[in-house]
Amino acid sequence: MTGASAQPQPADRAESAPGDAARGRTHRGIVLVALVVALALFPLLQIATGRFNYWLHMMLYAFMYVAMASSWNIIGGYAGYISLGHSAFYGIGGYATGALMTFCGISPFVSAPLAGLLCFALGLPVGLITLRTRGPAFIISTIALLMLARLALDNTESLGGADGMSLPLPDLPVQTLKLPFYYGMLAVAVAAVLASYRIRHAKLGLGLRAIAEDEVKAEAAGIPTRLYKIIAFALSALFIGIAGGLWGYYLTYLKPTVFFQILTSAQIVLMAILGGRGTVAGPVLGAILLVAADELVVAKLGSTELNITAKGVLMLVVLVMFPEGIVGTLRARGRLPRILDWG
Amino acid sequence: MIELLQVVILGATLGGVYALMASGLTLIFGVMRIVNIAHAAFIILAAYLTFWAFTRYQLDPIESIAIVMPILFVLGMAVYRLLFTRLADSHRHAEMTVLLTFALALVIEGVLGSVATGTYRTTTPDYASDSFDFGPFYLPKGQLYATALSVILIGALLVFLRFTRTGRAIRATMQNRAAAQLVGVNVARLSTLTFGIGIALAGAAGSLMSFLFTFFPSTHWQWIASLLALIVLGGMGSLLGTIVGAMVLSIAAALVSDRFGPTWSPATFFLALFVILMLRPQGLFGKRAEL
Repeated sequence: MTGASAQPQPADRAESAPGDAARGRTHRGIVLVALVVALALFPLLQIATGRFNYWLHMMLYAFMYVAMASSWNIIGGYAGYISLGHSAFYGIGGYATGALMTFCGISPFVSAPLAGLLCFALGLPVGLITLRTRGPAFIISTIALLMLARLALDNTESLGGADGMSLPLPDLPVQTLKLPFYYGMLAVAVAAVLASYRIRHAKLGLGLRAIAEDEVKAEAAGIPTRLYKIIAFALSALFIGIAGGLWGYYLTYLKPTVFFQILTSAQIVLMAILGGRGTVAGPVLGAILLVAADELVVAKLGSTELNITAKGVLMLVVLVMFPEGIVGTLRARGRLPRILDWG
Repeated sequence: MIELLQVVILGATLGGVYALMASGLTLIFGVMRIVNIAHAAFIILAAYLTFWAFTRYQLDPIESIAIVMPILFVLGMAVYRLLFTRLADSHRHAEMTVLLTFALALVIEGVLGSVATGTYRTTTPDYASDSFDFGPFYLPKGQLYATALSVILIGALLVFLRFTRTGRAIRATMQNRAAAQLVGVNVARLSTLTFGIGIALAGAAGSLMSFLFTFFPSTHWQWIASLLALIVLGGMGSLLGTIVGAMVLSIAAALVSDRFGPTWSPATFFLALFVILMLRPQGLFGKRAEL
């Protein structure tokens, strides 16, 4: 890296020599691309043996949360605007995809991205209103948004109301039924993480982090804070909307009580905090760890109540003991493996 | 016309209870700048305590306030000591406290869910299903008692804040934390006390709720959403705003429920929130946001 770079380099990497850092980045890039390729090839095992349906399910579930936690992190981590209502976009994405399929006959694999764009478009005016306030009032309005969306769909009879609506089963044999969803979720996850990475290393990300540090100073420094926040909010709705769209078709039904849960938001927020809010790798790590832990806890204890309690306790412990999350804490101690140092 | 007035009366008599529920929330926000997402979870917890006292020991829900309030007062102070004291001067105080109370709400919901069975509960004292008639109007006894008690408790709170030394210190801290500290207010101790008082008020509200509404561990999310919308409308941290906001929204919700059906009545709170954010982000009685 010589001369004026278009991408501002984070200060915490300045210690190592420039050439060293560049080499490290290349290595990391190769490993990560290899990982994605391996994930893309994984379904071959299922096609060959037919015994990996459970694994495909768990992995696509993890991909979904990787996408959602990374997405949430753009507004909740980089900009420091905590949203507790982002599952509203999950539900809106799910319902928009379902409606496009039922009424217009569009394949969910086309309509889910469209639903994501709808969430992005919805995020702009919602952001415009909710981001008029800061801190507490913003958080409150995100909860209100979720409740309002749920109420609206509870009372929309053409979309099944509170009973929800069922979607047609994809026309595929059980052997390969999960494959399109697997690849769909993998694509969303990769796209969300890439977007999160690009934003983190672009002017937008720098501006958002300045907003998180001190919004008044950021504004005084000439950062268009209002615009940046709204863009971040809408972008964070985009991938969550797509994920919700795919998940609805995967479940083959849509129901307000399933898709507009504050617990989904809690899950997303907890993943980002556990991994490290405001870091690129944190939400990815948090999502994978929590999905794995969830599976173990649910398999062992089999109770939603204990699950909720465990999540609450885990969130309290992380917040009190190491609020920077795994990635943030490791970085502060200089022990972050290079493979996870995505900025 | 008479029907409309009847709806307004019913709305107004619930308004007192909403005000009681939200006053603790406002107090805690005003003094400590903590948005207590777990407030409604504490209310539901108190409702369950009242329910158990009612079914096991035949204790009247209103009388059980005398037990529930002290329990929640102590619980509130303990929770504050355990989780929040360290954060008082933290750089990212607002975010951290919201996340902590969010986590706390999950814990309370989860614990209640594993102790209580999965059905909606309510207590059934005689007055819960009885009403006073006067002229063409009627007034459910339960709602009337609950509102009267709420008015008494809020009144006591206002008197305490206005005329006692501690109350004045609390008000001073609400106005300006740093200045209060400068003139010798022990803000840390006061914060613990205020958190306890706020949660105790939630406790009283929970006892009243036990015979006014049906409840279930996860219903606290709907309640907290409405209550938070209400305190934003009133101007966060303003007790007067909270009381006025509670009255206005309760009557509006009753009218909406009458016109469009009861499922839409919570929407009143959320729509009001978005409208107020568009027109007057600082709320009805709030100061301009400190930048």
